[in-house]
Amino acid sequence: MKTTSHVGYFFIVPALVYVLFFGVYPLIYNFILSLKEVTLITYMSGTSPWVGLANYWQTIKDVVFQRTFTNTLLFTSLSLAFQFLIGFFLAILFNRSFPLKGLLQSLIMIPWVLPIIVSGSFFRWFFSDRGMVNGFLLAWDFIDKPIPWITSQKLPIFAVTLANIWLGIPFNFVLLYTGLRAIPIELFESADIDGANWWQRIAFITFPVLRPVIITTLTLGCIFTVKVFDLVWIITQGGPGDVSHLLSTLSYSWAFNKFHFGRASSVLVIMLSLVVSLTVLLNSIRSEGE
Amino acid sequence: MKGRMKQWKWTLVALIPTVIIVFPLYFIAIGGFQTVAEIFHRPPYWFPPRPSWQFYGDALVTLLPYLKNSLIMALGNLALTLLVALPSAFALAKFRLKIGKSTFFLLAFTQMLPATAVIIPLFLIFNRFRLINNYLSAILGIAVFTIPFATIILRAYMQAIPTGLLEAAFIDGASLFRVFRSIVIPLASPAIATAGILTLIMAWGDFIVSLSFLKDRTLQPMSIGLYNFIGQYGVQWNKLMAGSMIFAVPPLIVALLAGKSIVAGLTAGAFKE
Repeated sequence: MKTTSHVGYFFIVPALVYVLFFGVYPLIYNFILSLKEVTLITYMSGTSPWVGLANYWQTIKDVVFQRTFTNTLLFTSLSLAFQFLIGFFLAILFNRSFPLKGLLQSLIMIPWVLPIIVSGSFFRWFFSDRGMVNGFLLAWDFIDKPIPWITSQKLPIFAVTLANIWLGIPFNFVLLYTGLRAIPIELFESADIDGANWWQRIAFITFPVLRPVIITTLTLGCIFTVKVFDLVWIITQGGPGDVSHLLSTLSYSWAFNKFHFGRASSVLVIMLSLVVSLTVLLNSIRSEGE
Repeated sequence: MKGRMKQWKWTLVALIPTVIIVFPLYFIAIGGFQTVAEIFHRPPYWFPPRPSWQFYGDALVTLLPYLKNSLIMALGNLALTLLVALPSAFALAKFRLKIGKSTFFLLAFTQMLPATAVIIPLFLIFNRFRLINNYLSAILGIAVFTIPFATIILRAYMQAIPTGLLEAAFIDGASLFRVFRSIVIPLASPAIATAGILTLIMAWGDFIVSLSFLKDRTLQPMSIGLYNFIGQYGVQWNKLMAGSMIFAVPPLIVALLAGKSIVAGLTAGAFKE
């Protein structure tokens, strides 16, 4: 539809202004902060000096940052793989009609609708030393003393990853299910006539036809997983002793616990570069297939 | 008859993963009926041995002051989101504007931003304008994510409104605003409901924005009220679980009543085209 007047701009300007003001400007500001020495004192006095790449240099050298970077990669790849597999399995399972399907589908959406403080508190109890997992394992004599799921050096990142896998199931399920519904049933029928078994149908029909949907799901899943904050903050706050940080929680902790805004911003810029490069990588895989 | 039996078999199969996915919610719900000692019983109880409503009552009394704040923020955010998203979705769906493509790209990009990347700079900016500890800071902060989300959902739906219908109204002499108000909004009402529901769920469940911008306890929403239960020395787990359950009821009801539109909205909001 063509609008002859400029009236059309009235409609779009609020959104544009909002995004520029509250999305793009903070991002640029963030980048500027990362090049300055911004602490509580320099911020208050308004005299934050430029320090070039010093924040980045210090961040990269920091052992806590290095562990956090590994954590983020581990958290993202494990979450992504399992969320996707479970979501895919559920999508195939639900791609037929059976009684109560609508109800069960709504129930599967629960991890997405549940406020994060609710699911976060649950997993904090679930994994605590006297919590549910240890409660069952001890009672059934699988272990003699509680496993320190969220109180040791190595395990917390895996505990929060498990919680995040649960959290991401609905999203993967919904996208893959919707994609699956769009495959014409005739494709499967002709495969049946040709005598294809279940695995062959998944491998030679479902996967190739679903390829664009799968790549979109993985791309979005990747972006949404790298930026997870709340869940980890509620379960461990990145602790104990900074062992379970993700880039998001580390930057938050440096900003609001240590008031080291400059270095926090350098972590965010690194995190954003990671998100952008992962997106580009996955998109190039997509265009390769075409 | 045999066909029906076969279909129920699939219900049973699908029930297994569903139960596993729902089980955290079940344990939160029964946790609210138990004493702290019972919650930590070894092995954990599958049913509360001596269920008591007392902790639900306690949690409700403690959380009631936070309820008002949650409502103000969720509704304020909904109003702001729809006010900005509705006209822009219409323009993006139906006008050929020079800045249309770039605006849409910016919206999709903002939606992808990590919350922390927005919150740290916004905190410093809001602090300068004395907006920290003000509902407005939280409403504006949450809207950074709800506005793009709602716009993308609404735009996808409005694209399906026949352009001829709008052009006919123009020929009859209706103004652009009139067309928007009397034709586009009524026709898009199902999508407005979906976008509204998802926006409400997102704002109601918000944690990080409120945690960062609202330090004053009298302004905090229920999510932070619950988080304060954890912060205290010695967590009162039964009260926390009862309170969590109370806080989760509104979105849960919505999910059960409007599960289909949530699925539709999530799909439209996620796929870029």
